[in-house]
Amino acid sequence: MRHLTKIAAVVGVSALLVAGCSSKPGNSSSGNGSFNACMVLDTGGVDDHSFNQSSWAGMKAAEAANSNVNPSYVSSNSQSDYTPNLKAETSKGCNTIIAVGGLMYKAVASIAKANPKQHYAEIDNSNQGLKNVYGLQYNTAQGAFLGGYLAAAMSKTGVVATFGGLNIPPVTIYMDGFWEGVQYYNKTKHANVKVLGWDETKPQAGEFANSFTNLNVGRSISETFISQGADVIFPVAGGTGLGAGAAAVAAGGKVAVIWVDTDGCVSAAQYCKYFITSVTKNLTGSVKQYVDKAASGSFPTGNYIGTLANGGTGLAPFHQWNSKVPQDVKNELTTIKSDIISGKIQITSPHQPQ
Amino acid sequence: MSVAVQDPSRPEPFVADVVSRRMSPRRRIGAGIALVVVGLLCALLLGLGSRAGYDARFDLANGGEYFTVPQIVVPARVSAFILGAVVVVLGCYQALRGFGRVGLRWAIGIAILAFLLTFLCWSTTGAPDQHIDMLGVLEQSLFLSIPLILGALAGLMCERSGVINVAIEGQMLAGAWAGALVGSVVSNLYIGVLGALVVGGLMGWLLAVFAIRYLVNQVVLGVVLNVLALGLTGFLYDALMQPDTATLNSPAVFQDVAVPVLSQIPVVGPLLFDQTVIVYLTYALIIAVDVALFRTRWGLRARAVGEHPRAADTVGINVLRVRYRNVILGGAVAGLAGANLTIGAIGGFSKNISSGMGFIALAAVIFGRWSPRGAVAAALLFGFASEMQNLLSSITTPVAIPSYFMAMLPYVATIFAVAGLVGRVRAPAADGEPYVKG
Repeated sequence: MRHLTKIAAVVGVSALLVAGCSSKPGNSSSGNGSFNACMVLDTGGVDDHSFNQSSWAGMKAAEAANSNVNPSYVSSNSQSDYTPNLKAETSKGCNTIIAVGGLMYKAVASIAKANPKQHYAEIDNSNQGLKNVYGLQYNTAQGAFLGGYLAAAMSKTGVVATFGGLNIPPVTIYMDGFWEGVQYYNKTKHANVKVLGWDETKPQAGEFANSFTNLNVGRSISETFISQGADVIFPVAGGTGLGAGAAAVAAGGKVAVIWVDTDGCVSAAQYCKYFITSVTKNLTGSVKQYVDKAASGSFPTGNYIGTLANGGTGLAPFHQWNSKVPQDVKNELTTIKSDIISGKIQITSPHQPQ
Repeated sequence: MSVAVQDPSRPEPFVADVVSRRMSPRRRIGAGIALVVVGLLCALLLGLGSRAGYDARFDLANGGEYFTVPQIVVPARVSAFILGAVVVVLGCYQALRGFGRVGLRWAIGIAILAFLLTFLCWSTTGAPDQHIDMLGVLEQSLFLSIPLILGALAGLMCERSGVINVAIEGQMLAGAWAGALVGSVVSNLYIGVLGALVVGGLMGWLLAVFAIRYLVNQVVLGVVLNVLALGLTGFLYDALMQPDTATLNSPAVFQDVAVPVLSQIPVVGPLLFDQTVIVYLTYALIIAVDVALFRTRWGLRARAVGEHPRAADTVGINVLRVRYRNVILGGAVAGLAGANLTIGAIGGFSKNISSGMGFIALAAVIFGRWSPRGAVAAALLFGFASEMQNLLSSITTPVAIPSYFMAMLPYVATIFAVAGLVGRVRAPAADGEPYVKG
């Protein structure tokens, strides 16, 4: 009995240890360059198929382009890791430190103030007026506007739908753009396509899963949309959004999905058949661009805002839908894109970065 | 006010005997006034709140039935007035004369139904020609309830024999992971279900060993096991499944199997008899657990061990063995709930896919007064309320309902229903008490 207790305790503790160490701390690439680009990741790990992964890919791309760049990252297991991670990286001697995620903004601000000579960059937040911080932001409402227009054009039932993970600005900016895109379609085509789940003029309401991990609720919300007539769904809910893919499979081809953040045919390839396209947020490209410039000695200052004009947001390729999207619609999307860039079409979402 | 003592040989009724046989006038009038208020809410707030002249439309068919139930079209405002008036009349009668114990329960049930129907009518009048696919709503309610029902049955099997199971969430998560992995590797969903049952059972065994043999505080233990399952499945997902998704995390999904004849009955057919194998298994389990718990030797012993282990021991029941068996079986059922989340609905596993459903299942056990029927009713109620949240957020209501209010709707609805219908609950007397012989 005594022995068993001990063995059980050892097994239990080691299992917890294994589970606790699931993130690989302080990964350092083999590169022996002299420019140390360090990244503090948000929770979810470097293989999260989303945010962290895309940002880290930007670091790797910068290394591939310039062997002088020596990228490394640390993971955060919870929000309480932000400050210790940023501090550790600061004392490690990094040339620049990139914080992934707007949730880190307070930690970044306090550490950047305390270390005015250290360069920082933060994704999804402005530089908060600090000279040694570079803010990387994305006006994804522009990309989502194209997605909304496309959804309205592809819908046979005249009903499209969107839902979010939480009612927070990084999510609702997409939903705003989507809604506006559908309204623009209705205006120019004298159509009456309905949007379920979101109305920019009533931002307190809307359909939210209140989870980024509950795929079953994502599927259920999508099925509810489908039974209310929707045939194109735009989930802005991370993993929960995969439930829309499962609902599309169950609907057997009657329903299509527009994916979000990354190219869905790459990040969730099992549902590629149902993805018309994806509204992208080009984390990889903008991180690479920043590291490129910083490594060449000229640290960019101020803020970067990803737009349709600079490729910071946009639509992914149509992949398997390439032949199904009519050429007229493709042409219209090109026109709308240049109209948004030129300012002829004004996006009204209140969540756009300034 | 007294809680009626249950005859242990008979199944407990699911609704509590909260009301003593002779109700005090104060209580009688209070209940009556509450009903009148609900009736006035229906008629005035929802009736006058819905736009005049709008019809509420409900669909109850999807085309494959023997005959198609026509779309139900009712004038929203008039319906609200009529339903509200009915509830007000019920309330007045209750306040003046008083229904009996059973009658009042029926009256409350009617009031809740009337409120719900009025609310639905009101919600459709936000835009012209809006309809609600009621059949779809019911189907989704069931879809959201199935993992809760299975989880609640798992909790029930443990708690009835005296072991608190806070680890339902962890057992579900482990089962979800195992179901996806095994189902993917062997390309056979039935073996995937088997894998989920085994791994869920293993999680149950862990709970049993520490709770029964080492007498660890069962609530703390359950929380620890949940964290263990979350960390372990997350780690194994990153380390094992991610690098080779195609072979390790790409299981098929159980398809709906229509039961001949039964599936073509209007409303009930498409709702209950066009489902996946796991759902049919759930129906069987509900009946099996209910019958076994109250009508078999196994059930009698399990309940005896959960209520008074010492007495059970003196008549020769092996208390610890009964507890071990029930906790492991419960874990396996929770594993099945997990399998339903992956191969029963979505396919692949992803981190924290159970997302707290195990805790809701645990709540359903308690709200259902530790009885299978009650737990199933509580799980169905929660599923229905969650689906109402989805539905009301997707249609245009006359007044935009804030999303944060919607997020709490399932919980608020459950609390109200429990307060109105269930009343005081009593756990098995030895629930959470480790048994030490001697």
